[in-house]
Amino acid sequence: MAAIRIRGLGLVSSYGIGVARAVEGMRAGRTGITPLTLFSLPFQDRIQVNQFDHAPFPPGAACTTTIVETAIQEALAEAQFDNTGLRDAALVLGTSSFLFAGEADYRHTLATTGQAVMPPLEPPGQVALRVARDLGIDGPVLTLTTACSSSANALLVATGLLRRGEVRRALVIGVEGLSVAALSGFHSLMLLDPQGCRPFDAQRSGLQIGEAVGAVLLETDDAAHGGDFLLGGANLCDIHHTTSASPDGSTMRATMEMALVDAGLEPADVSLIKAHGTGSLDNDTAEAAAMRALFGADLPPFTGIKRYLGHTLGACGAVELAALLGCLRAGFVPPTAGFTQPDAALRIAPLTEARPAPAGPVMLNFFGFGGNYASLLIAHA
Amino acid sequence: MPRPVYIHAAAALGPHGDITRMERRALNGDPPPLELKERVKEIVGVPLRQASHLVELAAVGSQLCLKRLPYPAPENTAVYLGTGLAEVRKNEAVFRQVMPPGPGLASPFDFINAANNMAAFYVAKLGNFRARNLTVTQEEFSFEWALHLAAADLRAGEYRQVLIGGVDENSHPRIGHLRRIALRDDQPMGEGSGWLVLSAAAERACGELIEVKHVARGTEPVQTLRDAVRIWRRPEEPLTLLPGLRIEAAEVEQLAAALPGLRVQDYLGFCGGYHTAAAFGIAALFDAPAAPGLFLHLNRDSSGRTMLCAVRVFQP
Repeated sequence: MAAIRIRGLGLVSSYGIGVARAVEGMRAGRTGITPLTLFSLPFQDRIQVNQFDHAPFPPGAACTTTIVETAIQEALAEAQFDNTGLRDAALVLGTSSFLFAGEADYRHTLATTGQAVMPPLEPPGQVALRVARDLGIDGPVLTLTTACSSSANALLVATGLLRRGEVRRALVIGVEGLSVAALSGFHSLMLLDPQGCRPFDAQRSGLQIGEAVGAVLLETDDAAHGGDFLLGGANLCDIHHTTSASPDGSTMRATMEMALVDAGLEPADVSLIKAHGTGSLDNDTAEAAAMRALFGADLPPFTGIKRYLGHTLGACGAVELAALLGCLRAGFVPPTAGFTQPDAALRIAPLTEARPAPAGPVMLNFFGFGGNYASLLIAHA
Repeated sequence: MPRPVYIHAAAALGPHGDITRMERRALNGDPPPLELKERVKEIVGVPLRQASHLVELAAVGSQLCLKRLPYPAPENTAVYLGTGLAEVRKNEAVFRQVMPPGPGLASPFDFINAANNMAAFYVAKLGNFRARNLTVTQEEFSFEWALHLAAADLRAGEYRQVLIGGVDENSHPRIGHLRRIALRDDQPMGEGSGWLVLSAAAERACGELIEVKHVARGTEPVQTLRDAVRIWRRPEEPLTLLPGLRIEAAEVEQLAAALPGLRVQDYLGFCGGYHTAAAFGIAALFDAPAAPGLFLHLNRDSSGRTMLCAVRVFQP
């Protein structure tokens, strides 16, 4: 089976434009929490968010395409490609939805015309088609919408296209913007932690929502050349409940196990886990149970990075892969910001200090609403 | 040539709530809003109290398909769902709740149901499927790409069985709906749910998914069809073209003229125009009594890409 090399990474996050900006912040132990200025909310003073600087981008719905293309250009620059290298590539995009773009459109129209006009709420597939057109991509174009695992699943779908030889290159995008709808929805579900994300902490009480765009350029390649590789992964559905995981973590465990099989690895091969670690009671309880069950006493070190970047929902697959791999390339594993007090019920605790990047495979987990789970394995040179 | 993928069951739910050939009715305008509570009771068997209309469409279509399967579907059945507009009504409801002059807070149930993968979750939950579960939302090719990925899983041996559907809902009024999907003035806006159970096993199959193909830009559609006929058509086998949503009448005429013996079947006249109408068109081929033959579904997206889907319906 052909190896899949990670040729380029791109990131626009609350740290700024570029993977390096996020890595710099995470190395310094700074969270990317920012004031919320995009819009106002009645509960604004009771939440923490990660908003990126919108000044460099056009207002309204056009903002989304520009930000996506900014992240892509960084990935292409790393790979030393221009757009012509993408002609026969696949473009696979993951997002929970583009409701945030509809909101941006509405706010822009209201601000410029004084008219409150319901925007069309265009189909989720539009952005991928626009980006493909702009970059001259003639290969397959797909959009995956599987809640918080969307862009992790986009990485898996791209892996399939590459392994089957349908394309030689695939550009995977994760995109999510802050939206009144998402923040209000999570607030209604009482799932936002006023103190921000505290993964696996005894006092955790919910999420910290963020916006970001991640781009990952993949290419089939000979593993002997060195570099970073996407080794494989898996997706499974937990049918326990629409919004909460099986408390025993059984489906999360099964997803991680299947991912290991797909990558040709054993649990003992894993040197680090990037947990989903949303900071919600349910997720972290189930995820801890799953990790304990699968790895037992040999649980590798694990970290959660959502206090740095926010929970970027459908984008977190590509965004967290780009940020974490950026940190590994810079030689370190970021500790779990927001974690201070172990939860005795979980019986495990994440990394609290930065440590040198390990040499072995790294597991990345993503668990979403609708029981949609994805687990990925990467190798860092 | 790709390894065959077999169709073991199919079901199509149309915009009138129609599920059999006898119940299909040609549309002569936009269908009235579809009430599915009775169909849910009859086919799903459990109430879906807080579910969205899209979830109801998906649940009825997928459960009907599973009921037509001559054996119980295993737990390890992967679910692929294509939807062009996804949860458009719930997304609009949440938008109106949170944006001025709305009340400013989202209803928790509306928010949960606005998640675009909730329909695929319910399909898996009702079927007790603890396997791969993917929702593809790529406009006109949402169903075709879901079908392509499902077939690839079967061919790679990753799954022995897959439940694959295409589901879309319309929204009212028409003028608002047309801001999301381009339809001609004479084209009714449709909605529906089309499902197939695909398997790697030939035994008990009612048909075959021969290929789902992304046609390279610059390739003439007539050449694509000629190649398909040359490779796949058996001697004397009836050959039918199913023109998809974006294939205009003039092009259909041109294709029919270029391929002698080609019949044309207009399924859109029964389900209306929506992104995943292809799922209805293909699943409805298996409405009893099914007519055997080779069926080629051709479709295009708004960027001019073309996809071909080749299906064989077996002699019952």
